[in-house]
Amino acid sequence: MWQQIISGLQAGSWYSLMALAIVLVLKATDVPNFAMAELGLFPAFCIWALIDGANLSWWLAVPIGLLIGIALSVVVERTAIRPILAENHFATVLMTIAVFVVINAIVQLVWGSEPRKIDSPFAGSFTVAGQVVAYEQLVSVAAGLAVMVGLILFFRTPLGVQMQAVAEDRVTPRLLGVSVTTVFRTSWALAGAIATIALLLQGQASLLTDQNGSGLLIKGFVAATLGGFSSITGAFVGGLALGVAENLAGAYISTSSKTAIALLAIVVVLSIKPQGLFGRHQVREV
Amino acid sequence: MTPFAVFSGSPWRIAGAAGALAAALVLLALPGLVNPYLLFQACLVMVTATAGLGLVLIMGWSGQIALSQAGFLGVGAYATTYLVAQGWAWPLAAVTAGLIAALFGVLIGLPATRLRGFYLAIATLAFAELMIRVFVEATPITGGIAGTAVEAVVLPGIDVDGSRWYLCLGVAAVTTAVVIRIGRVGLGRRLRVVRDAEIAAPSLGVSPMRTKLLAFALSAFIGGIAGALYAQCLSYLTPEIFDMGLLIEFLIVAFLGGVGYVTGPFLGAVVVVVLRDLLQDLGSWQRLGYGLILALAIAFLPRGLASLPDRLRARRPAPPAPEPPPVSGPADLTGAAR
Repeated sequence: MWQQIISGLQAGSWYSLMALAIVLVLKATDVPNFAMAELGLFPAFCIWALIDGANLSWWLAVPIGLLIGIALSVVVERTAIRPILAENHFATVLMTIAVFVVINAIVQLVWGSEPRKIDSPFAGSFTVAGQVVAYEQLVSVAAGLAVMVGLILFFRTPLGVQMQAVAEDRVTPRLLGVSVTTVFRTSWALAGAIATIALLLQGQASLLTDQNGSGLLIKGFVAATLGGFSSITGAFVGGLALGVAENLAGAYISTSSKTAIALLAIVVVLSIKPQGLFGRHQVREV
Repeated sequence: MTPFAVFSGSPWRIAGAAGALAAALVLLALPGLVNPYLLFQACLVMVTATAGLGLVLIMGWSGQIALSQAGFLGVGAYATTYLVAQGWAWPLAAVTAGLIAALFGVLIGLPATRLRGFYLAIATLAFAELMIRVFVEATPITGGIAGTAVEAVVLPGIDVDGSRWYLCLGVAAVTTAVVIRIGRVGLGRRLRVVRDAEIAAPSLGVSPMRTKLLAFALSAFIGGIAGALYAQCLSYLTPEIFDMGLLIEFLIVAFLGGVGYVTGPFLGAVVVVVLRDLLQDLGSWQRLGYGLILALAIAFLPRGLASLPDRLRARRPAPPAPEPPPVSGPADLTGAAR
């Protein structure tokens, strides 16, 4: 039971991170980003290549990987998303799906479909009250918590407030001297780094394959839905809850029920409380 | 005098009607005109276009993003195959499979259509992923990973290839007629009201939720029927046929073709089937190609290939009496998916 919950919290913190990245882009630029997980998958593979191929230490490879993640997101935002942002919402969502496909294909072409494992310095485990806890699990949950707190603090800074203003209305903030370009670039850059962390944690605790992105993307969206898409805390708690629920279902119902939990969670939450467990009600476009 | 200005003149109408008649005759005589391989490709075009017509309803007209068409195709394919194996007649099995797909559509859409557009995108994406798992696990019906063979439908007096073609052609024609009809009657108008002015819709007596849900159920039904046909083309079903790759092909069908036009899915289907044939041995390069095509189509041709005649016409100095655009006209996607 406790073992299941602990591994659930670990997987849940990856979902939380993905949900945080999704919510960050959505809050700032109002784009549900279906390419979010792939934007972390490519840099995670780069980290693997740096450690395994170039024999770099983890402490050096990870910052390089984060920079690659940031650069990739900024480039995608600039070249694929921003030119069509003025057109309509529909096109932007589809463009993120196209970006997803392109990055995934590139990862497959460069690294193949063979599963990899990122070597990390957090091997080993310790025992608390009879429960074995791996350091890797502790690192995952701590990273998720740190990113959440960081984002809450960030949204209180002037740039963070500008971001939320731009999400509500792209015209008025500009009249007040807010650079919409800076806001977009910053949110995508941050989200790219967070997605990289999510894929990195998954890649060093379990395995890294070209399929990790799509799996984590759906979990991230489910977690964000649970959290209502507007709340940072909600997205974080939603991810943890999803991870724990999945692991408990996998252990006590059947292995195959694990996948069903995510969809079930979406249907139930949207039916009972459509704004998510932590969301605010809002009607747009009057 | 440019060619388009006289298009509404009656000689041109007659020529157009004659052209349509000739095209219909060619399609009907196709099994005698081309080799079985080309005929098979033509079947795939019809099936893909039929599934794409479902997307015209939900994405083009109601402005909702649905990512589940590959899943509905799977439901339709497996359900039809299973029912036919139980001794059902194929048409009855196919319609039942369509209804099952529509039921799934309502279950997924019920919560999501109450909310902003992208909730449906997420719920349908999750559904499509879940369906792959179901196809793998439900071994008694689907044969699991190993797959299941499809019994070919043979029409009296026609060989297997010909039967498959007439089946695909017939279903595609009926679906096209139904979708055109829907575009012209109240439902089509309600869908566009919901797409363009969702918050104002209730004041016109239109329930956005019910309208969106109906569109989604119809779209799922068409997807299920297309799946029944797809099974006929494939003759052997395995779960991975219906994965992300198929979804991406449908997005290309819908958006390269033009999601606001009934002709769009047919144009898109031709492109996808030809591409699939050319690139089938290239693995990941094929996916890369698909992704780039989708991105370029969205960036440079947001209303798809089917919008090109309208665009050409719009570029000329105002013609005296422009031909009314087919069914819905260009999808004004502004405000879609809000």
